[in-house]
Amino acid sequence: MTIAPRAPRKLSMKDRYSALTRDLDWTPSYVTEDELYPYTKFEGITIHDWSKWEDPFRLTVDAYTKYQAEKDKRLYAVLDGFAQSQGHLSLTDASYLNAMKLFIQGVSPLEYQAHRHFAYLGRHLNGPGPRFASLCQSLDEIRHIQTEVHTLSNYNKYYDGFHSFPHMHDRVWYLSVPKSFFDDAVSSGPFEFLIAIGFSFEYLLTNLLFVPFMSGASFNGDLPTMTFGFSAQSDESRHMTLGLEAIKFLLEQDEKNVPIVQHWIDKWFWRGYRVTALIAQMLDYMLPRKVMSWKEAFNLYFEQQMLGGLFVDLAYYGITPPKFVEQAAEEKEILSHQVYWTLYQFSHAAAFSTSIPTDEHMEWLSANYAKFDELYRPLWEKEKRNVAAGGRHFARGLPELCTVCQIPMLFTEPGDPTTLCQRWSTFEDEHFNFCSDGCKNIFDHEPEKYVQAWLPVHQIFQGNCGGATIPDVLAWYKMTPNDGGEYLGSRDNKNWLAWHDMAEKTGGN
Amino acid sequence: MTTSATIPAGERPVGVDIQESEQNRAVIEALEADNENSSVIHMPGLVRVTSPGRLVLRRETVEERLGREWETHEFQLAIISYFGHIKEWDDDEIVIAWDH
Amino acid sequence: MQFELRTQVIEPQRKTFQHLIDRYGDRPASRYEEGTIDIQAMTNFHYRPLWGPDKDIYSPDYSVLKLTDPYSFTDPRQFYYAGYVTSRADMHEAFGSTLGYLEKRGMFDRLPEAWKGLFQDVVLPFRHYEAAGQMISADACRFGWGTTTTQCFGYAAFDRIGNAQILSRVGIAFGGGTAEALAAAKKDWLEEPAFQGLRKHTELMLVERDWGKAMVALDVTDQLIYALLYDSLDEAALTGGAGSYSLVAQHLVTWFADQRRWFDALYKAWVADPEYGAANAAAIAEVASAALATAVAALTPIAAKADALVGAGSGAALTAAAQAVTTKLAGVGVALR
Repeated sequence: MTIAPRAPRKLSMKDRYSALTRDLDWTPSYVTEDELYPYTKFEGITIHDWSKWEDPFRLTVDAYTKYQAEKDKRLYAVLDGFAQSQGHLSLTDASYLNAMKLFIQGVSPLEYQAHRHFAYLGRHLNGPGPRFASLCQSLDEIRHIQTEVHTLSNYNKYYDGFHSFPHMHDRVWYLSVPKSFFDDAVSSGPFEFLIAIGFSFEYLLTNLLFVPFMSGASFNGDLPTMTFGFSAQSDESRHMTLGLEAIKFLLEQDEKNVPIVQHWIDKWFWRGYRVTALIAQMLDYMLPRKVMSWKEAFNLYFEQQMLGGLFVDLAYYGITPPKFVEQAAEEKEILSHQVYWTLYQFSHAAAFSTSIPTDEHMEWLSANYAKFDELYRPLWEKEKRNVAAGGRHFARGLPELCTVCQIPMLFTEPGDPTTLCQRWSTFEDEHFNFCSDGCKNIFDHEPEKYVQAWLPVHQIFQGNCGGATIPDVLAWYKMTPNDGGEYLGSRDNKNWLAWHDMAEKTGGN
Repeated sequence: MTTSATIPAGERPVGVDIQESEQNRAVIEALEADNENSSVIHMPGLVRVTSPGRLVLRRETVEERLGREWETHEFQLAIISYFGHIKEWDDDEIVIAWDH
Repeated sequence: MQFELRTQVIEPQRKTFQHLIDRYGDRPASRYEEGTIDIQAMTNFHYRPLWGPDKDIYSPDYSVLKLTDPYSFTDPRQFYYAGYVTSRADMHEAFGSTLGYLEKRGMFDRLPEAWKGLFQDVVLPFRHYEAAGQMISADACRFGWGTTTTQCFGYAAFDRIGNAQILSRVGIAFGGGTAEALAAAKKDWLEEPAFQGLRKHTELMLVERDWGKAMVALDVTDQLIYALLYDSLDEAALTGGAGSYSLVAQHLVTWFADQRRWFDALYKAWVADPEYGAANAAAIAEVASAALATAVAALTPIAAKADALVGAGSGAALTAAAQAVTTKLAGVGVALR
């Protein structure tokens, strides 16, 4: 890439950007403003002056395409090199790819949804500044789904579990957790979507979701994932800025917006936090070589940076940290263990595999989590005896799901990690269960929305998922026996051992 | 739980994560040079630069180290993430700071 | 574990993802296919939108124009993101070189007065039309059904703001590095009688909630505008001593040729659809006929303005362009009224 010599400019970067973006806008006179922007009134948000929106990035189309093309050139060179050199054999272990299977099934389709719905904001926000920023984000998001698919495409050729990710995303029980999360955001009004995804997901939680994850890829020999991850994150920093601008803009426009935004922060913190439960167990259990524990990541990326930094800033507007955040902070000691233990028991109905942590792995868990030896090691020790006796444990029935986050009801009471937490509400004479105070709070604000949820387990019982037996349902999911279950002895595991035996014998010739 | 409710904006740390590569070394060095209280941590694949209250990246400092012209937009090729608020991004400098 | 360079090649278990194997057989798939085909969620949406509870989050019913299998259409350019931005980086770099040259040599100052007037009074206000093109295309990107079409719409949306910025950058150069020429052009767009028909037509396209109808109306209007402003004036510009007009126009001509490639393929796919083909052809005929009549009427005073300035036969070019639209659509089986 060559950078052209700087020509003298009479317009500053800010004025030039303004001339090239927001000055393109005009106030219509042949249709009304409400006809032109039909969706920005019903949420109760008051905007007095859209021109007060700040655009810190000031990226125009020529600069955008130049830098993005350069990023992709670098990224695809890494992907090609990795594929050509059979780089997949240099991973720490094939079990590492379980994290990537979950990623392509659960997270990549969300990038796609973001692509489509930021296009909605790129059309339907009244202000030309946020419209253009949203359009750029829409483009970035299709970049992310595509670079993820192209990165993981190489693993799909040699390993199971990747092959039917879009089909699975629309159907599989554990994938309804991320899918319903994003459907919830997309089906909300444009301002709520901005807070849900632009602010809560992209700013509050993005570092927690992606940075340790990409470092994990780097630690486990997955150069392509590390490269796409860091490359995607460089777009993400623009998205974070959009999210932060959005919240400040709404809060500064009118005091009446403050309580509405506060509720959205409460709601979307908890909704997003529940999705990160899948990330927590990836970090602590699925990476053969560990980077940092979930507890450490939560402390660094959420407690220090967000509670300690951002929310102090937002206090100026009267915004308080999200409701139930103290429960999330307390839960960091137990979250990953509870989630993985559940996935372990249900992985026969999943497109990733699980296994008992090795002794070395348990030492790491014990060193990082004060309660591991007391609460979770005994479960694994018992399971080791089961396996030795030929009885690897899989759950027989179907789990009950939380109506809001759709995670099995596996979480425990605040302050008591040995008692299952169950909350409920009644709506139109029907009873609904929740995993936590946070999810109940969300339901109670909008019961008419959450009663619509496509709950996978209910759908199975109602006969909408291919049949009444587990094999029927798995066939409907397009899962093969090679996709899930126990990792040791799985096709991926056997191939891995065979390939490395082969590689060792033939290597160095 | 960590809270810093009493710490003013000028002291609460802000920071930026940068992909560790040869191309980005000048940017990291410029950040260190222009922010005297900054600290640098190396993590797998990335470098995190933090500073109390405010972090500034100046075009001229990067150009001195690179030996060529550098546009502030090029920072997009280096940045992975940040915390704080991007208060300014113009032809000459990028400033990350808290507002309140 | 570390290994020496592998001397044995491991055979893949499958050559691509299952949904592509189901469609095309187990053959290696292109990056376009892997990043596009079957990528959109199709079923089991959890909640009805608060902003429009009558339809699902994604639905074929956001337009009367439908494809039985949305993936029966593919982009002839095979654009996925990397290919798209690389192509556009080149386009904008080429335009930047042109503009740099024109500015350095003071070419805009050397333009004959009539052509200066054409740039300022006729062409620059179209930056607002391009901005509307962005919004219409972005809406289609959101509400379309299936990624092969929505991806084209999304890139087109970005192209349109790119075009608006190309025109704006010319305007800034024209204003001697200031935004003055742009301000004058905006005033024309808002107040000058010759532009009001077009602005009304544009605002009405913007409020059309059926994305397919809006895109067809926009495309018919585009075909007239690109012929009128950029194609037909090129020759006259060269002979009239306005080479810089030709140099700028060629970038927009190149872009529009690229836009036509996928849009013409989409017309074909709509009309050839086994189930919806006839209904699509009828709907396109209705929308395109109305849009053509409105757009010709709206552009006539603008063509007259161009004729008054440079006398290069713009009125006749508009009539010919309208006939070309009718011929082109007849070619894919759509008979305009």
